[in-house]
Amino acid sequence: MTVTLASLSRRTGLAVLDHLEQSVRIPVVDGLQAQGDLIVIPLPLVATSVTLIPEDRWEPVPAEGVELLRGAAGGNPHTLVADPGTCRWTTHVADSQGLAIGVFTASVPVYLLHPEHGGSGCAPGTYVVRRQREHEGTRARLVAD
Amino acid sequence: MNALVQREAAAIRQEWLGRALSTLPADRPAVEAAVSALYRLAGLSPPRFHWVASPLAALATVPPGLSHSPEHPDRWPLLSRFAELKDEWSRTVEAGMRRPHWTIDRIVQQEVFFPLQRSISSCLLPPLRRAHSWGAPGWMRWDRTHYVSRIARYDALRRTAGLVLDAEQERRFELWAAVLGSCHWWWPDEHVCVVSERPVALHTEVAGDDGEVRPHHASGPAVRYTDGWAVHAWHGTQVPSWVIENPTVERIADEVNVEVRRCAIERLGWDAYIEQAGLRLVSRAPDPGNPGSELRLYDVRRGTRVLLAVNGSVERDGHRRRYGLTVPVYLNDPIEAAGWTYGLSGEQYATLLRRT
Repeated sequence: MTVTLASLSRRTGLAVLDHLEQSVRIPVVDGLQAQGDLIVIPLPLVATSVTLIPEDRWEPVPAEGVELLRGAAGGNPHTLVADPGTCRWTTHVADSQGLAIGVFTASVPVYLLHPEHGGSGCAPGTYVVRRQREHEGTRARLVAD
Repeated sequence: MNALVQREAAAIRQEWLGRALSTLPADRPAVEAAVSALYRLAGLSPPRFHWVASPLAALATVPPGLSHSPEHPDRWPLLSRFAELKDEWSRTVEAGMRRPHWTIDRIVQQEVFFPLQRSISSCLLPPLRRAHSWGAPGWMRWDRTHYVSRIARYDALRRTAGLVLDAEQERRFELWAAVLGSCHWWWPDEHVCVVSERPVALHTEVAGDDGEVRPHHASGPAVRYTDGWAVHAWHGTQVPSWVIENPTVERIADEVNVEVRRCAIERLGWDAYIEQAGLRLVSRAPDPGNPGSELRLYDVRRGTRVLLAVNGSVERDGHRRRYGLTVPVYLNDPIEAAGWTYGLSGEQYATLLRRT
């Protein structure tokens, strides 16, 4: 089945802005992809800095999706969307860079959906989701778009 | 059942948030009656009331007879009396709470108490602090006396968890609710109580998942009083008026506060700032995963560089927004700089397949 913004939006009830292309198939890729201030990284690529905390605390991703991160103002969320039973998710990760918000593992293509940024398709695999940071003075601050 | 309580609590929070951040004229008779009753509870005679247009006017026109320096927020001795009065009432209310109340209280705190606490701190505390020109501690008692958060929490517990107040608790609830729902800031002294009118404009934006708001106005004051006194804010950060009204590269260069500087640059737009400030281009490269777009790295002063990137998705008008991200000065390559923002090396970031 072809997954488009329109079909994802219908399936989850999550709205996307109407000026985004609704009917084009969302590309599904198995590598690095960015969605605004969030990036999806195949776990093996950052295996030296990101480790899963041994305790098994994986949660199934429900039909309505999992909100990974919400923008600071206006509250636009990045939501992980998957067919029930195909994707699990955990926030119990340690990241030497301090940017990981979680790890998900998918057995079929799953999607990240955002009202302004649209959709990103992830091929089966295990991925780390990281936030973006900025350098401010002598510290780093997290970006919230 | 939790979802139902959560929805009800959220609706109650919105009611109190509306009252707390109201821009209607203060209900003077209601304020005077309730404050007078609070004075009596504290064993004092009702004060004279001195109404002013704004917190600044409150401190500039303090009437004679005051025994202390009005600027210092800690030197309003009656504040601690009123804080104790409110705490004592809180303790009696909470002594009557049973296990089911405490269970629901967890939801109420998350949905009502904390969002109100944060919203009032970000929207109404800045005018008070600015009027007092006082940065340091000394605000503790002001939140204990002047915030509606606690009143709203008990109100939510009454309405969602069936908490019952006795007659005296109820009377005090009504008094605090009348004061805090009818005006914002008041300064109690033994013989006179100074009360400020509410602002006539208060611009906010949503600032989180639990309904809290923060002050923001991109083209004028976020908080404005009838006497013209105002406070400016950019996405919740209190800023000098020039940041909003007239941001220039010269003023940005002179600004020592890094956060204010960032707000001013965002207000001007990174693109415009880079051009007007004549920042030196360090290097440029195609943005992997974002076909047709370029990443550019510029030198900003004081050990910082800025990476100018282009959004992966289009705006409503068909344009792609450019945005700047500040990065450490040791980064020379824009790909490496983009990678750094996600904790990745340049080689890793170069494999980016898609950006939306």
